[in-house]
Amino acid sequence: MDLIKHIFAFNADSPLLFTQFYFWAFFALVYALFALLLSGPKADNKSRLHLRNIYLLFVSWFFYYKTSGNFLLILAFVTLSDWIIAQRIKANREKLMAKVWLCISVAIDLGFLCYFKYAYFFTDAFNDLFGTHYTIVDQIILPVGISFYIFQVISYTADVYRGRIEPVKNILDFGFYVSFFPQLVAGPIVRAEEFIPQLYKPFRLSRRVFGVAVFWILNGLAKKIIMSDYLAVNLIDRVFDNPLLFSGFENLFALFAYSLQVYADFSGYTDIAIGVAMLMGFYLPMNFNSPYKSQSPQEFWRRWHMSLGRWLKTYLYIPLGGNRTVGFGTYFWITVIALVSAALTGWWILALSFWLVAVLFAIIAKRLSETKQKLIYSNLNSFITQVIGGLWHGASWNFIIWGGINGFGMIIEKIWRGMNWHLRFTLITVLTAGLCAADYYTNLPVWRLFAVWAAILWFIDAFRYIYFLCNSDSGLTAKRSNSETVQQSKTVTALSSAWAVLQTFVFITFTRLFFRSSSNLDPATANEVAWETAKNMVNQIGGAWSNAIIPDFLWEYRWVVAMFIAGMVIHWLPTNWKRRYRLAFSAMPLWLMVIAVCLAIIVIYQFVTADMQPFIYFQF
Amino acid sequence: MRPYKVLLFIAAVMACMAVLCIVLPGRVVIAEYELRWPTLAEVMGSTDSPEPIENLYTPDTLGVLDTLEIPETLESPKPQPVVIPKVQVDSTVDSRIFLQRFYNSLSETGSRTVRVLHYGDSQIEEDRMSQQIREALQAKYGGSGVGLMPLAQTIPTRTVKQQLYMSGHLVQPAQGPQRYLVYGPKRDQREDGLYGVMGQVAMMNDSLVEGSEQIMAICTPQDRTRPYTQWQIFADPTIDYTLSGDTVRLSGRGAVYGLSQECDTGVIVDNIPMRGCLGLVFTKMDSTQLSTFYRDRNVRLIIMQFGGNAIPSNRNPGTISAIVKGLRDQVRYVQTCAPQADILFIGPSDMLTQTDGEWQTYPMVPYMDRLLHKMALEENIAYFSLYQWMGGAGSMMRWQEVGLAGADGVHFTRSGARKAGNAVANWIVDGLD
Repeated sequence: MDLIKHIFAFNADSPLLFTQFYFWAFFALVYALFALLLSGPKADNKSRLHLRNIYLLFVSWFFYYKTSGNFLLILAFVTLSDWIIAQRIKANREKLMAKVWLCISVAIDLGFLCYFKYAYFFTDAFNDLFGTHYTIVDQIILPVGISFYIFQVISYTADVYRGRIEPVKNILDFGFYVSFFPQLVAGPIVRAEEFIPQLYKPFRLSRRVFGVAVFWILNGLAKKIIMSDYLAVNLIDRVFDNPLLFSGFENLFALFAYSLQVYADFSGYTDIAIGVAMLMGFYLPMNFNSPYKSQSPQEFWRRWHMSLGRWLKTYLYIPLGGNRTVGFGTYFWITVIALVSAALTGWWILALSFWLVAVLFAIIAKRLSETKQKLIYSNLNSFITQVIGGLWHGASWNFIIWGGINGFGMIIEKIWRGMNWHLRFTLITVLTAGLCAADYYTNLPVWRLFAVWAAILWFIDAFRYIYFLCNSDSGLTAKRSNSETVQQSKTVTALSSAWAVLQTFVFITFTRLFFRSSSNLDPATANEVAWETAKNMVNQIGGAWSNAIIPDFLWEYRWVVAMFIAGMVIHWLPTNWKRRYRLAFSAMPLWLMVIAVCLAIIVIYQFVTADMQPFIYFQF
Repeated sequence: MRPYKVLLFIAAVMACMAVLCIVLPGRVVIAEYELRWPTLAEVMGSTDSPEPIENLYTPDTLGVLDTLEIPETLESPKPQPVVIPKVQVDSTVDSRIFLQRFYNSLSETGSRTVRVLHYGDSQIEEDRMSQQIREALQAKYGGSGVGLMPLAQTIPTRTVKQQLYMSGHLVQPAQGPQRYLVYGPKRDQREDGLYGVMGQVAMMNDSLVEGSEQIMAICTPQDRTRPYTQWQIFADPTIDYTLSGDTVRLSGRGAVYGLSQECDTGVIVDNIPMRGCLGLVFTKMDSTQLSTFYRDRNVRLIIMQFGGNAIPSNRNPGTISAIVKGLRDQVRYVQTCAPQADILFIGPSDMLTQTDGEWQTYPMVPYMDRLLHKMALEENIAYFSLYQWMGGAGSMMRWQEVGLAGADGVHFTRSGARKAGNAVANWIVDGLD
């Protein structure tokens, strides 16, 4: 009886996770019945496929029930409501009612999301703005994966409204699209037009694709357990929990390691999801494309959490006006962000200035040339998209700051790239001098941090400036992106790219200071703790650096350091190399693949059970 | 590939894994390397959900220690089990009887100050736990101020914000005067033992910028701190200082042992964290300096909270026993230096490590806890078992789940420290009734 209860009942302490044996036993059983359904000569006929879809729908619901218990009802409700509304939209196409139905659908979906994810945040913001003291009495537990499936159903209804897809006739098919278990709790966010056609196609899995699917699963497990969990348990969590126990170097190392960890964790999970879905004949979109190879923040966001990026672009950035225009949406969001900034900082003047600058830009842009107009519109709308993207990740000021920094980073990089070398070098010189002066006069760690990084940028840019002056007919027009103007050797191009990658990696890593600090916190104290953690880390990095500790740290934490270096090296391997070893794996004879999988599991298990790195104090 | 072939593949992998579980359960040593592999039972086994933390709270368990059995042998993570000797503790004794002199001294708080020094390891950094003890005692017996603080606050606290200026220029603590720490590495120690009562000293010497006002420290009490009424500066006579509001200006050459924001009547509670310290450092501190301070400042209770730092690196009961013996020597030394003061020893909290992928309590924590308890009773000092109060083995996991303990399984979060601090404070205050 206990066994049956353990298998079928919801237990918050043992959710179905890809990294647990229980999930794989569950998957094996699911697959056994799946194989039975698709066996025989009539495996490809419609009724069999329909049966398969219904079967996978109920499996997915069971999966979600095991993970989130009664929150399954919310999933079922939004499935039902969006299915009905999509039908209504179709019935009223080209009429005002279609828009009304769309608004109702978005309101319902976002209502759930806002209640579960942002109730604390909005209450806090309201209290800060109006000096009230409202509180949320009961603790709100966030249903697993709600951010993902809500975005998925919104995309479906919006696409039906736009006429890009026809509504799904069968609610069970639609339910399967919303609930498909491999991607239900952590994405990728699958758009209806990508997935729904697959529901009606017969099962196809080539031998090679099968091998690739197995590879993705192992790759994901290795990323999650070896790179992510090992680094987190042995160093990152300790440092982020209590930065003051560690020197500046340890804090900095943990921050960079966190950059790898968060990538390995998230992309590892989606790799497994993609592999598992492939084994069942379904294809999920790629979600990560070696993001730390990016040469600019903009490129990073095209390679990182790609399904969310696409979603935000399609359903937020473009409706806001994209690079074509700014409309009500843009002004509305500028106002919201300004109000939020005011509540965050208490500086109404800052918020008003932000609002005025943004609105002025929007108004002035209308009088400028088309190119400049596009640049301003695009920057305004992409900044808003980044901030909203930050808010999607969690209900904390730190996520907003994180989104804002990313937005600014993208804008500044774009403007910077368009400058000529003289202006660029003059600016970096002035900036470096200013930051060094700020550091000297204030002696605050945050300025030291900026000053050191600016000085590094200045030195490298000085070399590059001299190089371009020496090799360009006209240094005035030499731009990094314009290879026709300056003939660069392959070595210089490679070095230039490597430097751009490193700059982007450092920038993204420092934005993570705010991202990590906000994760996994009690919403009631998230803001305070997150801000304190970020502040303490900056203070330690900028103010308690200790060279004497570095050799000791590197030696005592050699396995952690080795894992980090190995992770980064693998990440930065050329894409072709990765494709080759992936294909080599997929081409293995099946018996050899079984052995390889077993060996991989044994290795991964060694990291699951590895003894913890002892806690060592290097700073007293 | 047809689905049944995929199924066969999955079955083949699972069968191989199952065979490995049967043939090679536990550990396999190949050359010097140990490979771990679960048994079939471990793979199939289900785990019970942990008991809610509230059910495990036993806020005053010190009187019922005898009901908690320490097994004679615990399975060590290593292949050979470590034999842990049984420790007999007379659990009928409420050790607060050893705080009677302190309790009696509290009657003097209307006319003078009674001082409580709280020494400890990183668990009390940032004024953790001491703050709650201070709040409880000052609420009942008066008194104000945060007490002692070093000249350069390398670890910020929540109770006082400190900024250090040298010749008018804000500096970070690391850029301030050279610090010597009795609990630091060799390079940070001094041979004469003159560390002051905090175990750390800041040396103002020739390397500092010349000028009439060499150093200025602004120490601003934060929320929840009762406003202090006076400053005390503990420094060599060669150091001159002036006071103005929250600011102290120092000049001259010599040692600065600490600054103190305090009161003229009531209770003063000083937070003295010693990061990474085993607690075996008191005998390295000059006895005359300690005695003078303890006597002149009417120190009537000394809290020593140590033991945790011995746990991660020691899995041998013999070593733990030797460390407790060393701590006994420290207690005696402190008793000699402060004959008028009572001593309260607070043992380590529950502490976790990961073995075979599972979080579990370090095997030596319960052993050390009982040894310390036994030592305390033998030395006539009070003992508070943080480990037992938390709920014993594995309780740190439940603390982690509810946000009371950090991811390292060793340190409390701020709210966890508040809870533990309140427990200690209540235990002390309840003893008065």
